[in-house]
Amino acid sequence: MSSSQASHSLAFRVMRLCRPTLHVDTPILVDPSDLLVGEDIYDDPVAASHLPRLMGGLKVKPSGDAADLSYRNRFLLNDSTDSMGLSGLLLLPQAFGAIYLGETFCSYVSINNSSNFEVRDIIIKAEIQTERQRILLLDTSKSAVESIRAGGRYDFIVEHDVKELGAHTLVCTALYDDGDGERKYLPQFFKFNVANPLSVRTKVRVVKDTTFLEVCIENHTKSNLYMDQVEFEPAQNCSATKLNADEYHSEETSTTRETFTPPVLIRSGGGIQNYLYQLKSSSRASDQIKVEGNVLGKLQLTWRTNLGEPGRLQTQQILGAAVVRKEIDLQVVELPTTIILGRSFSVHIELLNLTERELGPFEVSLSPDDLPGERAIMTNGLQKMVLPKVEAFGSRDFHLNLVATKLGVQKITGIRVYECNEGKTYNPLPDMEVFVDLE
Amino acid sequence: MEQDSVDSGAQIDPLSNPFASLDSLSPDLSSLNDLAMRGAWRSILEKVSRSRSLDLLKQPHHHLTYLSFNVLALSKLRRFADANSELESLQDLDGSDYRYETYPKVYPGRSGSMVPFSLRWIHCIIPIKLGRRNEGLDRLYKLLDLVREKLEERKSNSREESLREWKRRELLVINTIIGDHLFHKEFSVCLDLIRNLLSGDCLGLDAFLLSELGYIQLQIGDLDGAKGSFSQVEGIADKEKSIKLMNLVSRNKALIYLVGKDYVSAVREYEECMERDHTDAVAINNKAICLMYLRDLSDSIKVLENSLERVPTVTLNETLVVNLCSMYELAYVNHAEIKKTLSNWIARVAPDDFDSSCTRI
Repeated sequence: MSSSQASHSLAFRVMRLCRPTLHVDTPILVDPSDLLVGEDIYDDPVAASHLPRLMGGLKVKPSGDAADLSYRNRFLLNDSTDSMGLSGLLLLPQAFGAIYLGETFCSYVSINNSSNFEVRDIIIKAEIQTERQRILLLDTSKSAVESIRAGGRYDFIVEHDVKELGAHTLVCTALYDDGDGERKYLPQFFKFNVANPLSVRTKVRVVKDTTFLEVCIENHTKSNLYMDQVEFEPAQNCSATKLNADEYHSEETSTTRETFTPPVLIRSGGGIQNYLYQLKSSSRASDQIKVEGNVLGKLQLTWRTNLGEPGRLQTQQILGAAVVRKEIDLQVVELPTTIILGRSFSVHIELLNLTERELGPFEVSLSPDDLPGERAIMTNGLQKMVLPKVEAFGSRDFHLNLVATKLGVQKITGIRVYECNEGKTYNPLPDMEVFVDLE
Repeated sequence: MEQDSVDSGAQIDPLSNPFASLDSLSPDLSSLNDLAMRGAWRSILEKVSRSRSLDLLKQPHHHLTYLSFNVLALSKLRRFADANSELESLQDLDGSDYRYETYPKVYPGRSGSMVPFSLRWIHCIIPIKLGRRNEGLDRLYKLLDLVREKLEERKSNSREESLREWKRRELLVINTIIGDHLFHKEFSVCLDLIRNLLSGDCLGLDAFLLSELGYIQLQIGDLDGAKGSFSQVEGIADKEKSIKLMNLVSRNKALIYLVGKDYVSAVREYEECMERDHTDAVAINNKAICLMYLRDLSDSIKVLENSLERVPTVTLNETLVVNLCSMYELAYVNHAEIKKTLSNWIARVAPDDFDSSCTRI
């Protein structure tokens, strides 16, 4: 077998077959009334009665099969929309262009026999090579192409969904018997690079009891992206709703409403679009999201560019905020309205077990002061109150005895709960303000 | 010479009717027009130059007409800097020099501007073609204002013909503006402008405009929007069956098939178009493109080559030639030869304004 150093009868030619484009170009076309006469001549009633016939006669095309030997189409306007320059003529891709992750690489491959002799028994292979893998696109080993005559061609089209970034090579090889009967091997390499079309930034926010997911999509491509679908697929025990701002639509007539829905079009080269999802837990207990490993779900994106050229991407798993779940909670049931300096008062509190396992026993106390003498309200009596176990989703009441040592507006702060079994400490109660009065 | 009263029913002496023929409008105008129809723009430049030097242009508007042909010819030949100089030689298009009433002996009883409107339009296009897009776009919007002023003046008092001409000019300018925004991929503006046109009182639902809307929606990737626009076009075509509209509907359908990668159906639609009208250049070109996507490079080349042979005056356009050359480059290792053959044929047949750089030789 000869190496590729020898001259070959065959050669590969490739052309990327992304979608064609609709050609746009402002043509220089005129209406006879705009060229042959002055613009205000129709104000003259005599002119107005004679000119239309004269001008109209110039625009009439020769009828039937009489060969029109004029290039009138390059001079006269047919319809007013001609000047928009969008005739509907399609143009083949003129350059390889950029290719992005999530798109489909499609190419026309033609093997030409430019020699004067027939070649026979051609085994053709086409594959995509990347850093990580080789993907076979075409292989005629099982049924070799019998022959390609002198000056002839064998054509095929290959398609490959691009799923990796970086350098790609389309490797086309032909193994054939040339005119002299020599078995020759022709490899040809066509390189291209795959870039990232989008970046997706997410933020998880917890507002009161609801989790929101903000998504920002930025377009790095050279085309505007028409976002067909931006869907959040939540993890198993969640549900997600997309929140849309109330959009202001300027007055729509019944005709335009059928024609228009404003498209979500992300501008090329850095345009962004934001989306907002509200996530809810589908488990029965509470509105808090209980998630395993904090996985919220992932985003499915599909978009279209020129003439519907599709692209599709899925993000990695999106993780939630660090701690979203509450295991225990303290709720104040009753707090006395008047608190007298130096006199003990009692706060009625309920401890809730929000988990599905038994927790406890508990020790309730005030956490130590950062600065001694700072704390205005302290426990009166035992520093630690012990509470027995609480069953799953259960609760227990207790009373905390406190005393105020300063006058005026003061805070009850630092009530903490220590779970003896698992050894965890919780500070679930926010500061409460009370007014301490004299007798 | 006594002129009859200015009334639409008035009879005019046919021997001195200034509107009887093109040549009665301006000297040799029919010849100029004929040259333009044949794309003989260089001949037009020669003729204008000769007429000026032989002092054949007697009336003020003759000069303007000839200048307009000159500017148009230079623009068609892509000599935009020269066209610009020629235009700048006119002082102020709105000045009294170019108004009928300034010359009451030549134009008794007539008033208004004698400037051919295409001069104003080309005045906007030239900066764009010279790379000064913002300047050109500004001029276009100003021209739109001027046209609308003229429309307002004529709505209350004037003749229908005049009003019709200015409405047509309004459409011309708006379409040019949309085209420029489209070229720069400013799609939202395009959609807004077309929306205004479609909901405007003067236009109604125009099949061609709706189709353009569909094409823009296809360019963006809004396939559902495009389908909606095209189905409205079908509604109009159902009521008014003409070959032109039937072909429009077929071509629109073909694009939808193409977008869905059903190239076989697209080819079928284009073939129906060609049967109804063998000069439908868009159908011919696009059918060849679809054959490429069907892996039939040989036939796609044949379609284009045949059309150039049979109906060159319709199909010889730069886009079709670019497509054919792309196909040659794919089909032949030694494509220089076959492109040269094509290029030589074009040089013999093409009009002066054909941009032969499209063969990429």
